[in-house]
Amino acid sequence: MISYLRPSALLCAALFVCSPFAARAAGTTTLDRSGGVTFIRQQDAASSLVGVDVVVRAGLDRQTLRQNGLAALVAQTILRTPVAGSKTSLLDAIAAQGGSIHFSVDPTDVRFYVAALPSSGDAVLSMFARALAAPAFDPVTVRTARADLFARIAHKQSAALAVGLDMLHRAGSDAANAALPSLGTSASLAQLVPDDVRAFYGKYYRRGDAYVSAVGRIDALGPQTLAQVGDALAPGSTTAIAVHIAPLHGTSRQLVAHRDIQAPWLIAQYAAPDAKSKDFGPMLVLAAFMQRTLADIVEVPGVVSPTFASNSVGALYDYSHKPASLTLYVNGGMGNPDRAFGTALSVANVLATTKLTGSIEDFKAMAYGDFATSATTLESRAWLATIFAEQVASPDYIARAMQAIAATTPADIQRVAKRYLDKPTIALVLPRQRQN
Amino acid sequence: MSLRMRLAALTLLGSLCASGLPAIAADGAIQQQGTLPHGGSYILYRDPTIASAAIDLWFRAPGAGYDNAKPGLARVAAIAAAAARLESGTSLAETIRTAGGTLAVNVYPDIVGVSVLVPATVARRVIASMTAAYFAPAIDDASVKTAVRDTAVLSVQQHYSAVQSLHNALFAQIFSGGPAHIAPIPGTLTQVSGITEADVKAFAKRAFVSSNATLTIVGDVAPSSIEAVTAGTPGPSSEPIDSPLAKPLPEPTSLPGSVGGIGLAWVGPPIRDEKAATAMDFISDYLFRYRTGILAKAIDASGDTYVTGQFITLHDPGVMLITVGGANAEIAKTQVIDALAKLEQPLDDATFAAARNAFLYHLAADTQTPTGQSDNLGWYAAEGNAAYAPGDTSGAYRAQARSLDPAYVASIVKQFLTHPVIVQLVPNAKESS
Repeated sequence: MISYLRPSALLCAALFVCSPFAARAAGTTTLDRSGGVTFIRQQDAASSLVGVDVVVRAGLDRQTLRQNGLAALVAQTILRTPVAGSKTSLLDAIAAQGGSIHFSVDPTDVRFYVAALPSSGDAVLSMFARALAAPAFDPVTVRTARADLFARIAHKQSAALAVGLDMLHRAGSDAANAALPSLGTSASLAQLVPDDVRAFYGKYYRRGDAYVSAVGRIDALGPQTLAQVGDALAPGSTTAIAVHIAPLHGTSRQLVAHRDIQAPWLIAQYAAPDAKSKDFGPMLVLAAFMQRTLADIVEVPGVVSPTFASNSVGALYDYSHKPASLTLYVNGGMGNPDRAFGTALSVANVLATTKLTGSIEDFKAMAYGDFATSATTLESRAWLATIFAEQVASPDYIARAMQAIAATTPADIQRVAKRYLDKPTIALVLPRQRQN
Repeated sequence: MSLRMRLAALTLLGSLCASGLPAIAADGAIQQQGTLPHGGSYILYRDPTIASAAIDLWFRAPGAGYDNAKPGLARVAAIAAAAARLESGTSLAETIRTAGGTLAVNVYPDIVGVSVLVPATVARRVIASMTAAYFAPAIDDASVKTAVRDTAVLSVQQHYSAVQSLHNALFAQIFSGGPAHIAPIPGTLTQVSGITEADVKAFAKRAFVSSNATLTIVGDVAPSSIEAVTAGTPGPSSEPIDSPLAKPLPEPTSLPGSVGGIGLAWVGPPIRDEKAATAMDFISDYLFRYRTGILAKAIDASGDTYVTGQFITLHDPGVMLITVGGANAEIAKTQVIDALAKLEQPLDDATFAAARNAFLYHLAADTQTPTGQSDNLGWYAAEGNAAYAPGDTSGAYRAQARSLDPAYVASIVKQFLTHPVIVQLVPNAKESS
């Protein structure tokens, strides 16, 4: 038996029992499929922008091990493709119209996010569709794209949490190619030539299983604008390249890296369920509980302003990628992180082995609050709709999360803790030793 | 532009579609505003498609107290009110935390802002709790101790922030007195610990009254939620708080600091001069916006030097504030001055049109979240020109932005951005090591 760490929170429970899960006004979200592409539309009349997420199955698992970074180089080449009948790149042309574009590379997908003022939405998406349909593979464009990626890689290497998550992802992935660094490395990118970029694009930029998820002032777009983006991709679908490497045999589950950072970071990762699992709701509640447990350990009680301490710990439940994971992290910048980390891991073990008593309603309310307040940008709303459409066939992510959390019982919490919160893989990102 | 929006981080008239304004529903009900029961105002911006709600309370109040003698008093009071247990037995901070929301207290020289983000389903209860916490505060010894501790932590953090330290130093140089002359978070722990429960209660009694407040609510919140507001006790109405300018403005100064950096500031137009203030926003967006400003990008590409910049829209006057730091800060300072001198000549039409489109997009991007929009509406209301807020559905700000032309922007550079106040922070060798 355990009691919760913050008994004072129980005083608040009565206030929030059930109320966070009350019915809410439904948005107008629609989903339809055409030519292999799934279109999701979330009209928001109160927004001042339109945002569109475009997901193509051209991620890391389409690369061979020798093509490390190629998925990112193709995407960046598209951003650097000249448009509008001039030498202006898509990136700059969109900015000049009143918009923005960027991309990320996931284990299975490449994801572009395009946003624009309603008045320029058609023009911006039309330019994007043209570049997506016919990227420039000339040496100058590819070289510029490669230089862009060098800068992004350098920036990412200075972020300890990103470094640790990359290491853990590599350790936990089923396929070796899907676990390559999302942007590649400077060395691997240097080996890739325009023909590699052209070949990868020609093979994998297909409509099959693609998503076009729009949110905001969709009413300002022409009737064919979103379809035009889907049509920019060639017909057909593709499959991943299976690259398996026999796992190393050893007892250590600890990864270590050194970077030019000020303080050590401890990062623990557990396997976790995806959004379609019956364990999804309980894991959302567990993640909220672990987040607050870590915060309680390092924070001065009662403090309301963000501090170094409160910003230096956290729990990340990532159900958008395969495999899903729960990550706990502690930054040693505020002192020795061992105590906070050790206590958090102990709490995880206790949760898995001890029967819970009392109400969990306050933790359910926190979990729903965390979820709802994390979906406020147009980009996050478009992306969540895509994830849930893909995993549970409904883009209404709020309803799904609300139902999953509301149905969670103390027995679910224990079952899920027991199943997942065991034997984390731990990454240590340590400051590089400096010579005097 | 509001200070917090720029720091985080942390984007017309004609047809509605062409203007980029939200599509207003047939009942025109996206934005509503009115008066609170005991004075003060509220602005409700409804978006039924978002599952969360931002609820902000804004007060016009001097950061160091009404006699400008207690640095940190406004922050301590705002946090103490949030930490104090209400009649329900729960503090506002606990209520927000238990709802899975976030609570932030932001104190500026002339404004106190309390910002909450919660699931929209609990918005009505939070409005009730939040207005009770501030309009009928239950501040006690324990909550004051919590607030003093919180403020002390931030005081230490601020010590190591070049941007914040330069901001404080530049305001102290530009303004000869008043709240803008004094840092809202004190520089020494002695000042924080010297704030007493009696100080806090007296300040709260005068500052945290409905008649001195603007309540902004953004998200899926029904208009009837306004009925949940706790009225509190009546109080006098308030006006924006200004500070006197130093005359003449001081020469370049070097000051010791925990971190190094160079700050440049120019006195700008007041919020009522909407076109000039919008032009200042445009200039800071074009040159200094993080990741997209042409000078910010050029300097950032070096990898070891940075520049940040913003025009801070205030009642009277506004301030353009730029900070540079890193290995080549001195060179970056020269680049800043040269870039502004270059803007004294009008941009060519194509460059200007692209920059203005980007500016309009950035305005919209900055207010796309409930928190961003609520912050935006509240800041401009507290500074005395609510309808001019970029996120306001009247579209007044965007109309001003659309009306800008290269010659006008160049004239504003000549009028306001030629003679900066400069402060250089020189790291104390012992402390910075």
